[in-house]
Amino acid sequence: MSKHDKKPNNDESSRMWASASFVGVLIIIGVPLWWKTTEVFRVSLPYDKINSFDSDSHYISTELIILANDAPTADAIANHIRNSLHSDVIEINITKQILPDKLRETLDAVAEEQEAVEEIGGIFDLKKHNAFYVVQRNPLFQDVWIGGERLAFFRDGKAANNLMEALRKWIYEPSVLHGARSETADTARQVRFPAGNGYHVVLSVVNPKPQKLKVEFDAAEAVENYIGSFVDELKELHNITIKSQWLYLLDFDFQPKKTADTTKVGYHYAIRHERLHLLLTKLEERAATHVSELPTINLALYVTQCDMAPAFIYDTRDLKVESLTQAFMSPKWGGVVLGSPTLEECGDGTYRPRVAPIMGTFLAQLRKLIGITDKAPIRGGYLEVLRSVSPRRWEVDALLRLRTLEQVTSAERSLKSLAKLLGEISNIVINEDVGASINTAVENIQQARDWMAAGRLLDAYRASQRAFLAADTAFMDPSLLALLYFPDDQKYAIYIPLFLPIMFPVILSLKNLVLWFRGKTPKDKTE
Amino acid sequence: MLPINIWHSLKLLLIYSFIFGEAFEIPDAFQKSNHTNNWAVLVDTSRFWFNYRHVANVLSIYRSVKRLGIPDSQIILMISDDMACNPRNPRPATIFNNAHEQINVYGDDVEVDYRGYEVSVENFVRLLTGRVPPDTPRSKRLLTDEGSNILIYLTGHGGDGFLKFQDSEEITSQELADALEQMWQKRRYNEIFFIIDTCQASSMYEKFYSPNILATASSLVGEDSLSHHVDSAIGVYIIDRYTYYVLEFLENVHPNSKKTMSEFLAVCPKHACISTVGVRRDLFKRDPSRVPITDFFGSVRPVIITTDSIDIVDIPKRKSAKTENTTKSQGKRGYLPQFPIDLIPNTV
Repeated sequence: MSKHDKKPNNDESSRMWASASFVGVLIIIGVPLWWKTTEVFRVSLPYDKINSFDSDSHYISTELIILANDAPTADAIANHIRNSLHSDVIEINITKQILPDKLRETLDAVAEEQEAVEEIGGIFDLKKHNAFYVVQRNPLFQDVWIGGERLAFFRDGKAANNLMEALRKWIYEPSVLHGARSETADTARQVRFPAGNGYHVVLSVVNPKPQKLKVEFDAAEAVENYIGSFVDELKELHNITIKSQWLYLLDFDFQPKKTADTTKVGYHYAIRHERLHLLLTKLEERAATHVSELPTINLALYVTQCDMAPAFIYDTRDLKVESLTQAFMSPKWGGVVLGSPTLEECGDGTYRPRVAPIMGTFLAQLRKLIGITDKAPIRGGYLEVLRSVSPRRWEVDALLRLRTLEQVTSAERSLKSLAKLLGEISNIVINEDVGASINTAVENIQQARDWMAAGRLLDAYRASQRAFLAADTAFMDPSLLALLYFPDDQKYAIYIPLFLPIMFPVILSLKNLVLWFRGKTPKDKTE
Repeated sequence: MLPINIWHSLKLLLIYSFIFGEAFEIPDAFQKSNHTNNWAVLVDTSRFWFNYRHVANVLSIYRSVKRLGIPDSQIILMISDDMACNPRNPRPATIFNNAHEQINVYGDDVEVDYRGYEVSVENFVRLLTGRVPPDTPRSKRLLTDEGSNILIYLTGHGGDGFLKFQDSEEITSQELADALEQMWQKRRYNEIFFIIDTCQASSMYEKFYSPNILATASSLVGEDSLSHHVDSAIGVYIIDRYTYYVLEFLENVHPNSKKTMSEFLAVCPKHACISTVGVRRDLFKRDPSRVPITDFFGSVRPVIITTDSIDIVDIPKRKSAKTENTTKSQGKRGYLPQFPIDLIPNTV
């Protein structure tokens, strides 16, 4: 009897232990293992640092040195600037000095402003980035004079107001800096190219009918000398490559209208403003600008044909544009100069474009596209007209400040967006490389921020560029989409048919197992 | 015959409403859009000869947006099969969208950016989010910014919540919504107009949650989108109903048109389309009846006339003399005799 009794008991216990081991393997080991291995891989990120970014609190320190003839004037000027040039984007650290007697005498003696600048350059360091000198000079015709160096002359204490205006509208431009930091693009940001590592400048010379008109123009040399020299001045900012090319047989119908006028010829051809943007589309078909990795700045010299010479553009108000070179630009795209051959040149069949004014126009356009703003005239202020290829030194500083702020802000926004997306979309993978990029960006943002506050402009710019590029690489990294074919909402559609047939008996056996374990212990005792 | 009559009367009605509408409307009342450039992403997701109509759909839209001014460099065209060169095409190198074979939508200047098996869910999502492999040329990237208005047009075979790509994979509505959200977060668009012509098309936009998107679909969930007509010479259906009526509408749009988006959204009434056109406007901030159609189908290219020129006194010379990198040809090239008879002695 006892033998009979024991056998089924034994049988049952081994069955129960078998099912218990199934439960053990599948539920206690299998489920956590499955959970762990199917987790979206994400390296730990400095979320608290990213979330604490406050883009609106960035500011750049800059140095302003006032050199006046006497202490009261220096104080008056310094106080005026301090009180009225208030902005949360730029902090101006003012130092006051009295001009040494010898220098003052020479400054009063020299007639030319340019010579005076050289005299000061002999004593003070005008090459230093982010430092600007304001120097008193009595024999001045205007209240304020500004040239190409990091220096402004003012006549006396009464010029304080105009000096402040000049500093605000020409030198520091806090409104443009605000625009670089803000959420929405201001007008300056709508024109200039977005921040980037570098740009590719292409000059295309377009000759629509080479069989009728020969164009004598050394495009390669013009680009090298004019654009190349300009670009070299900005090498601290961007890595710019230049190229020139010729395009033939690119015919565009301007639909010109013959209009009578009072010139010797008696007529000219009018090109309507609305036609111009179509020329850009036409140029894009052939310019092949996407061969470069970098964003392209297009410059095009379009030679208009002889049967519409002389041609003039009519602006939005339907007025003839009276300028030597007929030109237009498109924001974030580039500029076009219409090269119009004269009637004599048409007779010869050879057009010789005048290089200097054409390249001068291209440079004026290029400056705007790169981010150098136009300087509106100020009452009582005199800004020396730019007569060379290279930008004014303080314009480069302004550009550095602008791009630094823009890049830091952009990097912060990218990281914040990424952090937000990681919370929203669960199947974004962050691998070690992307994590490293994010950490680099965060470090460089902090460094740029410190350097901006300390006024180390070049260092801050470089750090901001590193941050900007790292943040962009992190956001745009192809590996973020590694789980594209494994979306979260379909995860269970894959697993359920796979695991349900196994899990079903296991889960059903749980009840028996629990009952058996409960029942077993008291049973053992009674027996 | 009857449907044509109905259509004719409708067309007349539309023309009348247009004329009278113009008489009373003040153009300034349009809510101004602050976009600075226009892009179009046009995708045909299905391959094989019997899906000829989808290629015709997408190419017709391509023609329309190009005619209205979006340049090729700002159109991303994805076509998964080359119908023009299909061996079953009785008229090689052409694709027609009408039974009378009047307009060859293939033409001679179609710039296809992604073709054949390149049209995949992965490439589409990478294109939208910008997460393309680093060696992708700029012409295959969607280089939009915070001021871009994007027109997205998808056609192919779809179901409830998915759109089939290439008969082998599908994109779900959730994936598409997530991709658009990532675009929004990276400031890659200002506004999006999303058009989809598939079966159960409206299921694709239901999960969108990013702002500034106006979406329309050729059919509601549970409905099929139907094709319009067969060309017996080509032997297949050549265009879908919804796209057919869209094109008929776009035909009368020119770059200076004052037609509005709400007119576009009402373009295919139920009796013409047979399916119900779905519209989702809750994410879109502006009133579609005040948004000109050219905000999405046309192109803005701001042009600034520049009169200032730098009066350069000294001709500059670049200091850093780099290595010459020019492709100047040395002298004129001539022809050699085809057969070098002069080299053989004693030929006379």
